Amino acid sequence: MLLVVGATALWLGLSDASLAYVRAALRPPLAASGVVLLLLAAATLRAGPRPRPAPDGHGHGGRLGAGWLLILPVLVLLLVAPPALGSYAASRQAPRGGGPVGTFPPLADPVDGAVPMTVTEFVGRALYDQRRSLQGARVRVLGFATPGDEGGYRLARFNVFCCAADAEAYELVVRGDPSPRQPDQWLLVEGRWLPEPPLTRIAPSSRRPVLVAESVTPVRPPTDRYEHSLYGI
Amino acid sequence: MVVALGSRSLLADAVDHPALQTWSTIFVSIVIQALPFLVLGVLVSGALAALVPAGWLARALPRRDAVAVPAAGLAGAVLPGCECASVPVAARLRERGVRPAAALAFMLAAPAINPVVLVATAVAFPGRPEVVAARFLASLLTSVVVGLVWSRLGRDEWIDRARSRLVEGDTRWQSFGQTVRADFLQAGGWLVVGAMAAATLQAFVPRPLLDAVAGNYLLAALCLGLLAVALAICSEADAFVAASLRQFPLDARLVFLVVGPAVDVKLVAMQVGVFGRRFAVRFAPLTFAVAVVCALLVGRWLL
Repeated sequence: MLLVVGATALWLGLSDASLAYVRAALRPPLAASGVVLLLLAAATLRAGPRPRPAPDGHGHGGRLGAGWLLILPVLVLLLVAPPALGSYAASRQAPRGGGPVGTFPPLADPVDGAVPMTVTEFVGRALYDQRRSLQGARVRVLGFATPGDEGGYRLARFNVFCCAADAEAYELVVRGDPSPRQPDQWLLVEGRWLPEPPLTRIAPSSRRPVLVAESVTPVRPPTDRYEHSLYGI
Repeated sequence: MVVALGSRSLLADAVDHPALQTWSTIFVSIVIQALPFLVLGVLVSGALAALVPAGWLARALPRRDAVAVPAAGLAGAVLPGCECASVPVAARLRERGVRPAAALAFMLAAPAINPVVLVATAVAFPGRPEVVAARFLASLLTSVVVGLVWSRLGRDEWIDRARSRLVEGDTRWQSFGQTVRADFLQAGGWLVVGAMAAATLQAFVPRPLLDAVAGNYLLAALCLGLLAVALAICSEADAFVAASLRQFPLDARLVFLVVGPAVDVKLVAMQVGVFGRRFAVRFAPLTFAVAVVCALLVGRWLL
């Protein structure tokens, strides 16, 4: 069991597969814990047959006990290979507003005619920036399509702080794209924010900012499908 | 009839499929995320078993619970892990002769007030140092109160001693290796149970439901406390989630931060595994109630 779990942890720590579940910073500790478990397994194997369990009937030293359950995540990982969270999980969350109310730092410089930014940053600036830094700027955002209310679609991205269990969906509404898009199709969207007055206080808002698309390009999903920004900045 | 039933099961299949995928993703994520911390915890536990002679800690620590419990709570500040690490360490401390009340106070305090968690909280609430102070105080208070209550009312036989019995080896290295192995398998197995429970709650209970109660002070605090139990987020990440639950009052979010590292479905499962069921059914409700009250009191004072 130690061997199996250790090998899996080491593999996850060294491969990109773990990015669907945890942020990249967790990979070195994961690999290290894999090595520790493998060393432990090697030591156990070298020690030969285990000492007989204590005669009191419990014998927790030698038996696997609850430890056999550790095979379950390994099996799920190998057989199902669960994908990164997508449009289904996004549809189950209330819309998030990023960022504190206030003013945001100036936009980054445009690259190839548009300012690249994360979905989290776009949502934060659109909802809360009192200086409306997005107004008039052509921006480029990457995300996956998720079905919208009014027949159109939204562009969504999960923001992950530690692991997928704490993922939060950030979404913006895409207007002006004539083609229908399949849920979970990854898209690179360039366009401009449809200005609305910024919220002056944090509200349990169900408002999603609107991006008027000028060009939409289907793309391959990125290696790391999550964003890891704090309030998008 | 048959057609209706057939089409309904087809529909159920179509709906279930992405839900199951979400469930597996969250389940696997929690286990992967917790694994390095669990390994750290069982290594510390193994080192305690191999290097610290039985009874030495009992002699070194203050004898009276009124002194030992707060000291143990404060000592929690030095274990820079999340809550998965502290359960096996607390079990081993108790087995090495630390009074149960003190070991439990350590277990509750360590994942909430260590420097890594406090820094993460400060980053998640920029410009609000009072949130960090409130979290530190409320979590320490929770651990001390629970420890003292346990020393008054708790009974030693509720803890299943056989579960953390030391596996003696011929050499120090063998004791170390066998303790680490036994602790890892036991705590790890129960971690899997907890992760499955948390994934089920996350994948099948709609979160927008929560937003409906955000306005009511007490109801919001209670709901965020329950949310912390259900989500089982690592204590090093929960501050970011609390920061993003903006529609809730700050006091309620403090409840989320104080309850999360002390009691959640994954922790309860691990405590069942390490201390036994009779312990966990008493300890979890006690901790939940104390944590909610402490967080609200400190929140009222500081926030």
